[in-house]
Amino acid sequence: MITPFHIGLFAASLCILVTFFSFLKERDDLHKLILTDLAAIMALFIIALVGTDLAEALILPGLVVGISKLMALAEIYLVKEGIQQKKNSTVLDIEVLDTAPAILAAILVIYGIVLSGFSGGAVAGLGIIFYLAFKKHDEKFELIETVSGYAWVTWIAAFFIFLIFPSQWFLAVMLAGGGILLKVMAKFSLIGTMRGDPGV
Amino acid sequence: MIQVFDLNVEGRELFSLSFGDIVPYFSVYTGALAAFVIIFILIAIFSLPERQVNIAFGGDAYYAKEVNVPDMRFSRFMAIACGAATLGAMVTGDIFNFTLFAVMVGITNIGIVAASGNRHVLNAAFQYGIVAMLATVPLFGGAALILATTGSLSIWVLAGAGVVPLLAKALLVLGVMGEGIAPLYIGKAEIIRAQGAPYVLMIHFSSLLLFLRVIEIVLVI
Repeated sequence: MITPFHIGLFAASLCILVTFFSFLKERDDLHKLILTDLAAIMALFIIALVGTDLAEALILPGLVVGISKLMALAEIYLVKEGIQQKKNSTVLDIEVLDTAPAILAAILVIYGIVLSGFSGGAVAGLGIIFYLAFKKHDEKFELIETVSGYAWVTWIAAFFIFLIFPSQWFLAVMLAGGGILLKVMAKFSLIGTMRGDPGV
Repeated sequence: MIQVFDLNVEGRELFSLSFGDIVPYFSVYTGALAAFVIIFILIAIFSLPERQVNIAFGGDAYYAKEVNVPDMRFSRFMAIACGAATLGAMVTGDIFNFTLFAVMVGITNIGIVAASGNRHVLNAAFQYGIVAMLATVPLFGGAALILATTGSLSIWVLAGAGVVPLLAKALLVLGVMGEGIAPLYIGKAEIIRAQGAPYVLMIHFSSLLLFLRVIEIVLVI
């Protein structure tokens, strides 16, 4: 009996044949590197064909080892061909961290403001850690200190409103939420400045 | 029902730990393999790297190559990681975990020689890496076929039942051949020109042990 599994297996085998045949033809090392990714995806395809919960759980580790191997090979290729642009100064000095932080930090900060309160501050602070840790420019510590001070004042003012004008509880909640958002964010963002530079 | 330890390959039971259907076990065979891996991890941790000596052809002259300490440190770390991955492959009772550990051995093997500045070594490592990457297809394919035909990946459950198709076993062995590069000695001979003798040794050692384990698995399931 022909089941969908058999049809899928046949299709996957065909793809694998095409991949291996292309390896026979290909001479350029970079193209070979890209073709290996095709082969790795085919391996995951065969696992996915089984279609049970267990198979689903196997996809992620399979994908992770495939990607890590591809990254290792790409790094070897760069060294082998001598096309490394610069000597890596730190462990985390990789290309994506030059471009991604601004976007990711913006998303995290906006999401943190939407969440507000302690967890919002943690999320937004994480965004700022990420930005400061990977963007190399001078930190404005005065700004962080000032914001942190105002946040503390807002928080205390909110508590006074709670005690003295209990009817205005909503305003107090908003003030306290905003204050602790800024406070946690400022504290968190300091972690991002710890790059081990002298004097920081 | 036939147990793992009733089979001739395994020998006496030393230890078994029941995690549901996945059972990590030590028979005399796998226990001995694991002990060997631990000894070699200790060798990689405590031994100092060699100083390679080149002899000028046709004369008495020879010169020692310089050993770069940070590079050697990286090689040592990768050799220890390779030993850890091999140990995982020896201990695990799950076929898919075995394939994952085999792929990790392949990655760390590249890592051991990656710090070498020698262009020939890097070229061989790159070509080997491509073979190892392709080998994930038969490895994962074999594991997926076993899962599809029997519904289980546990060596303990499948032991002695004889339900695993021959094709799946063949694919597993083929995949380990690709990861362990034992048959591809041409590429390997170039790779071991990388300096740092005790760490490069781990490449041979891990591939040998992966073979011993996959033969055990194929005979048992």
